[in-house]
Amino acid sequence: MNAKIDGAISKIQLVFAVLFALLIAAQIRVQLFQAPALATNPHNPRQALLAAYRGSILASDGTVLAATQGGARAYPLGAALAQVVGYASARYGTAGLEDAYDNVLSASNVSTDPIAQFRLFVNPAQRRLQHARGATVVTTIEPDVQRVLFRRLNRYAAAAGVVLDARTGAIVALASVPSYDPDSLDELFPALRVDTSSPLLDRALQGLYPPGSTMKIVTAAAALDSGTVAPDATFYDPGYVQVGNFRIHNDEDEVTGSADFTTAFALSSNVDFAQIALKVGVPTFYAYLHAFGFGSDLGLALPASLDHVPAQGAIYSGELAQLGFGQDDLQVTPLRMAVVAATIAGGGVEPRPFLVREIRRPGGSVTAFGPGTLGRPISAETADEVTKMMVAVVKRGTGTSAAIPGITVAGKTGTATNEQGAPHSWFVAFAPAQSPRYVAAVVVEHGGYGAAVAAPIVRDVLAAALGRK
Amino acid sequence: MLPTVAALVVDAFALSILPPDALWRPLLWIAAALALLWVGIQPAGDDRDDLLPALAVLVAGVGLMEVTRLSGELGRRQEIGMVVSLALLVLLRPLLEGYRRWARVKYLWMLLSVALFAIVAVAGTEVNGAKLWLRFAGVSFQPVELIKLFLVFFLAAYLAEKGEVIAQSAPWKPRENLRYLGPLVLGWGSAMAILVLQHDVGMAVLFLGAFVTMTYAATRRLDIVFSSIAAFAAAAIVAARYFAYVRVRVDVWLHPFADPLGSGYQALMGLFSLAAGGLFGTGLRLGHPAIPDVATDYIYAAWSEETGLLGAVILLALYAVLFARAFGVARRRPDLYSKLLVVGLASMLGLQIFVIVGGVLRVLPLTGITLPFISYGGSSLVANFLLVDLVWIASGLGVRLRGAAGIRS
Repeated sequence: MNAKIDGAISKIQLVFAVLFALLIAAQIRVQLFQAPALATNPHNPRQALLAAYRGSILASDGTVLAATQGGARAYPLGAALAQVVGYASARYGTAGLEDAYDNVLSASNVSTDPIAQFRLFVNPAQRRLQHARGATVVTTIEPDVQRVLFRRLNRYAAAAGVVLDARTGAIVALASVPSYDPDSLDELFPALRVDTSSPLLDRALQGLYPPGSTMKIVTAAAALDSGTVAPDATFYDPGYVQVGNFRIHNDEDEVTGSADFTTAFALSSNVDFAQIALKVGVPTFYAYLHAFGFGSDLGLALPASLDHVPAQGAIYSGELAQLGFGQDDLQVTPLRMAVVAATIAGGGVEPRPFLVREIRRPGGSVTAFGPGTLGRPISAETADEVTKMMVAVVKRGTGTSAAIPGITVAGKTGTATNEQGAPHSWFVAFAPAQSPRYVAAVVVEHGGYGAAVAAPIVRDVLAAALGRK
Repeated sequence: MLPTVAALVVDAFALSILPPDALWRPLLWIAAALALLWVGIQPAGDDRDDLLPALAVLVAGVGLMEVTRLSGELGRRQEIGMVVSLALLVLLRPLLEGYRRWARVKYLWMLLSVALFAIVAVAGTEVNGAKLWLRFAGVSFQPVELIKLFLVFFLAAYLAEKGEVIAQSAPWKPRENLRYLGPLVLGWGSAMAILVLQHDVGMAVLFLGAFVTMTYAATRRLDIVFSSIAAFAAAAIVAARYFAYVRVRVDVWLHPFADPLGSGYQALMGLFSLAAGGLFGTGLRLGHPAIPDVATDYIYAAWSEETGLLGAVILLALYAVLFARAFGVARRRPDLYSKLLVVGLASMLGLQIFVIVGGVLRVLPLTGITLPFISYGGSSLVANFLLVDLVWIASGLGVRLRGAAGIRS
């Protein structure tokens, strides 16, 4: 009798054991398997709690570029640095440095990492750190230079500019116009996303433009460094030259006449440089394109476009002649042209551009990122020769509008014709020419002559960087 | 005695997590002294299972810690609940030790239950759309917590008497069945009454569960088990269709993300809380369990957030040991009434844990009942301490009877 009842009791107990096993299985499912998705769910208030502990982004001198204050992310430089710093929005995700360094800026969220959790479990003293701030990211941006660059670019509908530290390759300023106010991103975003002028795009890193005559720096360097053309060579420019099916002419069919190499460079003769490129030849010209790194990644953490270099097999004399002065199918980013100028400024050594100098973690540990090089495309002698030519551009050539009293500026204008409208106005330069401190590259979309628009911008920016204004 | 002392030491450690003054509150020390007094006046018999009161004290201490961590005010009230519960246990010991006499007044329990239901229906206070509370002289009480014990008392007495006859009756003989099953339907009916009159699905499931397990143990009649579950399920489905309150709970259970800021808010906050716990938890007092009703319905999520999967499984293991020992008592008891009583009490406890933890973990739709000994709530604390005390008393009486000549069966 009792045995039967005890048997029934044991069966009931077994049912409860199964129910409890079910609970433990559900517990494992939620706390381990569903946890990562739940932790990042936008409705999870812990997201906002963690956001409050998000690390700051600083300029080189400690100026705050991005910080969380009173629950909101603030960007003190505003539109001036909007695309570079980016945004961290609960609604629209992350972009720019906020995106590239999101994992170090975020306050540690240990819930999804069992190993980190175990460390906390065995070392409870560490638990408080869970609510510690994310790391601080220190950039190489110099806010004063950045502000001047942006203010000058912002007079135009669309423009981009880069300023590098000539000695290290550090990015001192990086601006893109049109821009937006990152402090009101959540309200602006739906409109920004569909804005055909692409304010969210960082034109300095992602914009692709024909380099125009600024490319003559590369053509001259290739010709000199390969020994194809001697520094004292002279050329004759009747205003046009027929190469295959192409009739190459100067702007407004200007006749520069008989000129030495430096004068041809200073006056930016397309006819002379078409002939120089033809002398260099396709294999050598492409060897130098590759040595300068055209088409390869510059290694920034931010999204950047790769330059578009036409396939070598498609290049015949007509195309080569045009490449010699930066036309045909070549398209480059403003950062690329800044790096080209920095290579000349650095005596032929190509610096690796970098934007982040330090990551300071809450525990006190610091990871530093120093300068580096990407190669040595040309000799120091060649770089010296090209520097002299670039100095002549500003002294007596097309770039006199970039001259700064008391400082020798080395530069090159560019007026890049394109199918969309008026030519893009380019200027790349470094100063002081004898011991370069800063390198700048500016492009104003459909701005017209390099000398008229981009060169004065570069002048103002370099003057500001060198403390001349 | 010793296991309880150990449990109190663990409780003190748990409470020491709270701000320093928490351990030095007089009520806490009175509760501890009462716990020792309760365990000190031991029920007769040397086969007594002293782990039962120790586990109750241990889990109640952990619960007090978690409630206090969530709200200092609720923590102080829970301390009063502890003191009242333990004082009641000490005072009622002589009465409870004679629990076997209660079998003789089995219909009294049903009368008391009906009376309590009636009083709540007339004079009850409404909270969250459900009339579950009696307010008397400034003290609120949930009568259903007592009714759940009364139901077990009645069913144990009735089934001890008629269980064997019901077991012998063939299911296909309606006359025979009707005669004995009639009063039994009262038990099932009480579950239905709670569902229909009070809209308290959680409690209704507990009542049904106790009815089913006790009837099964007494009669082994699976036809009764399944037909009562089926009838209840049909009623629950109808309720889910026609009672908005029930339907919303089911919708939230199925689609918690459908209305994240409205009806699904509590469920989502609960899930986020669980997810934040991970394997080892955020650490006590370091979580952010901002969930509506976190001290009552969702305290299990808060516990899981701060102690992780590890702490949650430890808590479930403590419960599992508690009612595995209770089932052991049921098997050891020689008399049928005590067996059925303990099975009923243990099932109530086990189901209550399953229903609320399953609700939080989305195994079932959430129903607002307390997590025994952990959730904030004086009525629940009193009822569950009484429940464990009765099982403990039953565990002792077993051997004395076995030692004596008069083993009844």
